[in-house]
Formats: sequence, structure tokens, C-alpha cells
Amino acid sequence: MYRITFILLAMLTMFMTACGGNPPTPASPQTAAPAKTTEPTPAPVEPGATGRLPEVNPLDVTGNIVTAGSSTVYPLAERMAERFHDEGFTGQITIDSIGSGAGFERFCTTGETDVANASRPIKDSEKEACAAIGRTPVEFRIGTDALAVVVNRGNTFATDVTMEELALLFSSAEKWSDVRPDWPAEPILRFIPGTDSGTFDYFVEAVFNKDKEPHLSASNTQLSEDDNVLVQGVAGSPYAIGYFGYAYYAENADVLKVLSLNGIAPTAETVDNNTYPLARPLFLYSDARIMQEKPQVAAYINFFLTYVNEEITAVGYFPASDAVLAASREAWLSAMQ
Amino acid sequence: MQRPLRGVARFAGGEKQRIVVSQAKTGAYPHDVVAQRAALRKRPRVSETLIQGFLFLCGVLSILVTAGLVYELGKESLLFFTRQQWEDTNHTLVEPLDATQSTFKMSATGMALSLHGSIRIHAEVMTVVDLRGERVTVARGQQNTVAAAHAVGAEIAISRQVTLAEFFTKTEWNPQIGKFGIWALVNATLMTSLTAIVVALPLGLGVAIYLSEYAAARVRSVLKPLLEVLAAIPTVVYGYFALTFMTPLLRALFGIERVEIYNTASAGIVIGILILPLVSSMAEDALSAVPQSLRQAAYGLGATRLETAVKVVVPAALSGIAAAFIVAASRAIGETMVVAIAAGAGPAFTFNPFQAAETMTGHIVRISGGDLSYDSIDYNSIFAIGLMLFLITLGLNILSQHIVQRFREEYE
Repeated sequence: MYRITFILLAMLTMFMTACGGNPPTPASPQTAAPAKTTEPTPAPVEPGATGRLPEVNPLDVTGNIVTAGSSTVYPLAERMAERFHDEGFTGQITIDSIGSGAGFERFCTTGETDVANASRPIKDSEKEACAAIGRTPVEFRIGTDALAVVVNRGNTFATDVTMEELALLFSSAEKWSDVRPDWPAEPILRFIPGTDSGTFDYFVEAVFNKDKEPHLSASNTQLSEDDNVLVQGVAGSPYAIGYFGYAYYAENADVLKVLSLNGIAPTAETVDNNTYPLARPLFLYSDARIMQEKPQVAAYINFFLTYVNEEITAVGYFPASDAVLAASREAWLSAMQ
Repeated sequence: MQRPLRGVARFAGGEKQRIVVSQAKTGAYPHDVVAQRAALRKRPRVSETLIQGFLFLCGVLSILVTAGLVYELGKESLLFFTRQQWEDTNHTLVEPLDATQSTFKMSATGMALSLHGSIRIHAEVMTVVDLRGERVTVARGQQNTVAAAHAVGAEIAISRQVTLAEFFTKTEWNPQIGKFGIWALVNATLMTSLTAIVVALPLGLGVAIYLSEYAAARVRSVLKPLLEVLAAIPTVVYGYFALTFMTPLLRALFGIERVEIYNTASAGIVIGILILPLVSSMAEDALSAVPQSLRQAAYGLGATRLETAVKVVVPAALSGIAAAFIVAASRAIGETMVVAIAAGAGPAFTFNPFQAAETMTGHIVRISGGDLSYDSIDYNSIFAIGLMLFLITLGLNILSQHIVQRFREEYE
């Protein structure tokens, strides 16, 4: 009798949690009112003004903007696009969260997008692909991410790991006790970004000397381009570990715990002074001709570079230094000439 | 003496019936007879011909589409097995290489090259003959490519060749690092499908027996459509049902430490629920088709209702029930959304239903989700997996036809 009551109770609780849980929101392109009939006026460019972008008025431009790429950049891009809409832009902005590599594929190989979002710099082979379809990628650095290595809140034993231990955790170690003998002898459940992801590429470069073989052959590894799947996975077991952009940790800090690396926790300070080992730049890429032919794309990037620092902390990333942002603005100005 | 008229009338549907018209009833000869003969003669009907032609075309079209699919799958899979695949090693040249040099220095970091393996820089294929740290000695211009000069920073790709033997015997699947054992994926598919069948078989048969043997006509007319509504729910809903309801339930029952968040048991049980209407509906049709006289004979011999159902009706309908199970099994094997959401997102060879494992369909979904680049190993591999999946379901369907023919009992 007691058992049946328990099962029924468990079912009821589970049902209620299931109903109350927040389903991950899908990447939805924003739709807006029909475009206005007024002619688009290109933003005026003042040659000679260094690092000062022209005033951008989202009301002045029409047309659609197609972007795709990194799932790390996605929350930031989504926030900026929302603000661009709020300030009067009437066109449609599509942001697909498909991974940096896939984003470059769409930008450089098929040429379907105006902007590629990336969490790693463009590769030479991707530049060549771009050149083959007559595009020259222009790089805009927009901020910095501290790649967060996270465990479950219920994980009481791991708080700080060295880079060597980190490599072990994500490759040959089967159990937690294989990494440190005083950790429990439980299998390590790994949740990592898919191989199309810039986060994966960056992690392999920073932790595994660019050799993805040990990382991919690790047992109990789940891969997904959707960082929410990873969050759910790590939140699901005290013996799980994963990594992704800091914003996804910030958003789920109630169920996740971020690890310190070599004793350094990811904070605004450690990212700023470059002591956190997995701090990495975030980028937008576009092409000078696209920006000149589609004033809405130029205006969007201008808007992005002008206001990114007001939004980036709220999303969960870290502002790039003034010099770096100034260089991005410089790149915008020279692309528009 | 007047003879009766004899003739053969052909009715729609191809049945022939012999017709004898007695002269006595038809009155005067020969005028009426001629009219009657004319009436019995086959008349061309344009609309009938059109409909027949249209139906024939429908059949031809569906066969052609299937043939096209199989051709495309086969063609691309053939490429997967025959063509050399190239995978980026992340090594680059650190010194320029001209067209004649046979030794070069590459960057220190990246995937290991293998001795006597093939590598590719731009379009040129080379064979590694000696490996000393970052110093690589190669034979230039292999496989009909021309030795050319390469600049610093050129990327080095490594060759990956798939063999049928490896494909069908190994249990590790990870194309990007050269592991092509399909069993990791097939095993997970079998695990989820088996769980689904274990759930759907007894439940579905129970429902079918109840509806056909026990339920009153009014109850059945309400229950059967209600059950079939289950089939109208989108599978993505079932997927989240598995992840947010079934998995927590399993974890509450068996322990959080034992049941992983993504696991094949949860996905399998939910697929079982998903195919339940298919099983019950088809099995119920088979049971209802058993002639009433059999049941009455059983009752007449003193059998109870249960004995009649289990010992007379079910064996009589066995071929239909078996066919229902096999169609449902094919459906379970091909099910995609539920396993993509709830079963796991990494290939793993495990027989533990509480562990995460990726099925064939789930793998295809995940790999193609991130905008796959054409001509990559992953891209080519999904066709081979698709063909494997097709062969399994084709085999099951052939089996089902065989069973239907073998166990068919006809009652007239």
C-alpha cells in the first residue's frame, strides 16, 4: 500500500515538475510589420573620424538581415536584434544558432547569409571558400566569452581543476576517481558542444593541442549544437560535466556550478586581465560589398558595435577592451569607404 | 424448339457471371434477343477508363518514388564506401614546400598522422614514408595528383577509408576520428525498438481483445477513435513527454544515480505508447474479421468468454496480429523525434537501458542539425546509415508478408 502511494505521489510530483519546467525556447526569427516604402538612405560616413561611428537610426533602413553561426554569440545577437527592433527597425532579422563552422559554411560557401556569428577566428580554408564566391570577410570583434566548465550543483567534490585534470576529465578518464583518487568512483558523464561548434574547436585547441581524437573518443560523451541540451544534461546528474559559453551558465546558475581553472574563476577581472585560461573572443563577420549594397546590414553592425557594451554583461559575457572595440569600428569605417 | 440464350456478362471489378435468359420469358424472337445481346455487350465507359488509369498511375508513382529513394541512398552510400574521405588534422605547414621537396615541417599541434597513410595538402595527395616529430617525409604527387608548391599555413588533411568489414563488425562509431562501427547505432535502435515492442505488444493486444470481444458496440464506437487520436499527436510532443515526464519518473523509481537524464528506456517506453494505437487498431481489425460462427461454436462447447477469445479467436487471427506487430516494429525503428530528444546524443555501445545511446535516426538528425558541409565524412555517412535503416525495415516488411501468408487461416 505504502509503495503504491509512493509511486502515485512520485508520478504526481514528476507531472507537476514537467508542467512547471521551462522548455528551452527555440531560435525564432523575429517578424515585423511590412517594410516601409521610403528609400533606404545609407548612413553617412565621415572619413577621417577615427573609431567614431556615424549616428545610426534604425528607422532609416529597411530590408531583411540574414545571420547564422555560433550558438555562443546567439544570445547576444538576439538581444542586440531585439533592441534594434525596439528602436524602430521594421525589417526581419534572422539569427540561426548552428555553430561557428556551419555559420562560415553558409557565409562563405553557399553565400546565404549577410553576417556570420563566430566564437573563433575564421580559418584560412574558410577565407579561401569566401574568396571563391567573391567575398572578403571583414572581422568585427564584439566581446569576450569565458568558456565555462560546469558541473552539477549537487557535485560537492569538484571546485577547482588544473588544465591537465581538465584534459583528463574530457578524454581518457572513465571515472572521477581516475582524475583525483579522493573523488568518487562514479563514471564521468560528459556533455560537450557538437563538432560544428566554434566552442568545440576552441576547447580542442586550448586543452588538447588541436588534436580532437582523445576528446571525441571519450566514453559517455553526449554532443549537441544546442547548448540548452547540454545544460539539461549537466543539470541532470551530480556526476556530469560540460562546457559552453558563459552566458548559458549565467542563465542557469541555480542548477549549475562553474569550476575554477588553475585556481582562477571566470570573472570580469580575470577575463579582462587575461588570466582565466579559457577566455576567448567573439566575432561578427561580414563583407564590405554586402555592407555597402545592403545599408540595413551596415546599420545593424554599426548599431551592434555602438551599443554592445550596454547589453553584453546582462547577457552573460564580458566587454572587449576599448582599444579592441575601436579597432572593430575602424574596420566598419574602412569597409564602408 | 427455341433454345435459351447463353452469354457471359462481365461486371465492373472483373467478375464474370454466366447468364441464361430463357426464351419463354423474353417473348418474340429474334428482335428482342438482338436488343438483349446488345444490352449485355460490354460498353466502353470513358470515366471508368480514366479512373482506372489514374489509380494505375498512383501505383506507378509510389513505386517510382521508392525506387528513386533507394537509388539515391545506394549511390551516396557507395561513395561513402569507395571514395577516400579527408579529415582536417589542424596541422599546417610552417615552412613553404616547393614541388620537388620530399620533407617538410608541420605545426606541432594537431591530430596524429599515421605512417604509410595518405595525407592531402590542397589538391595534392601524398603518402607518409617517415615521421619524426614535426618532420614529415612523404612521397609526392600520389593517386594521379600533381606535385605543386604549397605556402606556409596550408592545411594538412588525413585520409579516412571505410571498409565494409569494419562497418559491420566494429562497435564504435565516430567518423571524424576514423571509427566506423555501425553497431553502436544499430544496437541503440534495437534497444529502443525492443523496449517499445515490449510495451506495445501486451498492451495493444489487450486493448484489441477488449474492444473486439468484450466491449459493447457503443463503448467500442467511442473508445476506438479515442485511441486512434493518440496517433495524431506530433512525435515531438512525445519526445518532450519522454524527457520531462518519463525520464523523471524512471529516475524516481530506480534512482537518480542509476538512470541517466538521456536514456534509451525512457525513449523506448514512450515509442511504445506512440505505436500502441497502431498495434491495437490493426489487431482489433484482425480479431473482428474472425467469423462469428467460430465464437458461437466455442460457446456451444461450453467455453467461457476468455477461453473463446484466447484459444479460438486470437489463434484464428494470428496472421493479422503478427502483421500488426511487425508494422509497429518498423515504425518504432524508424521513429526519430522521440529518440533525438530523449535517448541521447552520442554513439555508445551499451546494453544498459538506463544509459544514453544514440540511435541511427537520432544520429542522422543531430549530425545534419548543424548545417553539415557537403562532402564531409559525416555527410556521406548519413546515407550509409539511412540505407542500413531501410534494409532493416525492408527485411521486417518481407518477414511480415511471409508470416501473413504462412499463418493465414481462411474461413468461408
